[in-house]
Amino acid sequence: MPAMVALLSQVWSRAPFVAPLPVWNYWYLLLLPLVAAIAVVYKSIRCGSMRQVPREAAILFVVILVVMVLAAGALAGLVTLLEM
Amino acid sequence: MAWLLPGAGYLLIGQRTRGLTVGISVLTLFLAGLLIGGVRVIEVPGFDGTGQRQRDVRVIHEIQEKPWFVGQILTGPACLIGGWFSIDLAHQRIPRSHGRVNEIGTLYTAVAGMLNLMAIIDSAYRGASRQG
Repeated sequence: MPAMVALLSQVWSRAPFVAPLPVWNYWYLLLLPLVAAIAVVYKSIRCGSMRQVPREAAILFVVILVVMVLAAGALAGLVTLLEM
Repeated sequence: MAWLLPGAGYLLIGQRTRGLTVGISVLTLFLAGLLIGGVRVIEVPGFDGTGQRQRDVRVIHEIQEKPWFVGQILTGPACLIGGWFSIDLAHQRIPRSHGRVNEIGTLYTAVAGMLNLMAIIDSAYRGASRQG
């Protein structure tokens, strides 16, 4: 919690939209909103009824994250293997 | 119209919920990209790093130099306004962000534009299907 407060105070001490956000140590968390937006817009386009969208978008969100984590793990394994 | 305001294509064919969902998502993603990387993640073709208009600009060369602008401009006038601010900040010698935050900000804004392109095509298709 103190880390979150420190981050928020850092964010507002900078000029928003002029200086970049100080998220150098948390950059990987920025994957989540990007994947969420892609899942929501993609499923809004694909689904016939908007009632299906929340469930379908949640499933797609999880699938994308799992595949990206698996891909990252596989690439990390490959790099470790090549370094041996 | 769908380019001018993300999601407006759906609103025009009476699909209000879909239009609002797509429009709010695309604009939020675009603004989040500008917030993360700073507004200077928009590199406007025809202008150099100091915000000066370049002479003898070759269009193909400029697009090769700044390919992300193609995705960003698909977001609509929001990108034009952001580009205007970007040039203004360049005039004031405010530096661009670097490293991961710049990459992520650029990615957010370009993905927002590409999602909007998908929405434009889909709303046009749905509109044509209703008429035909």
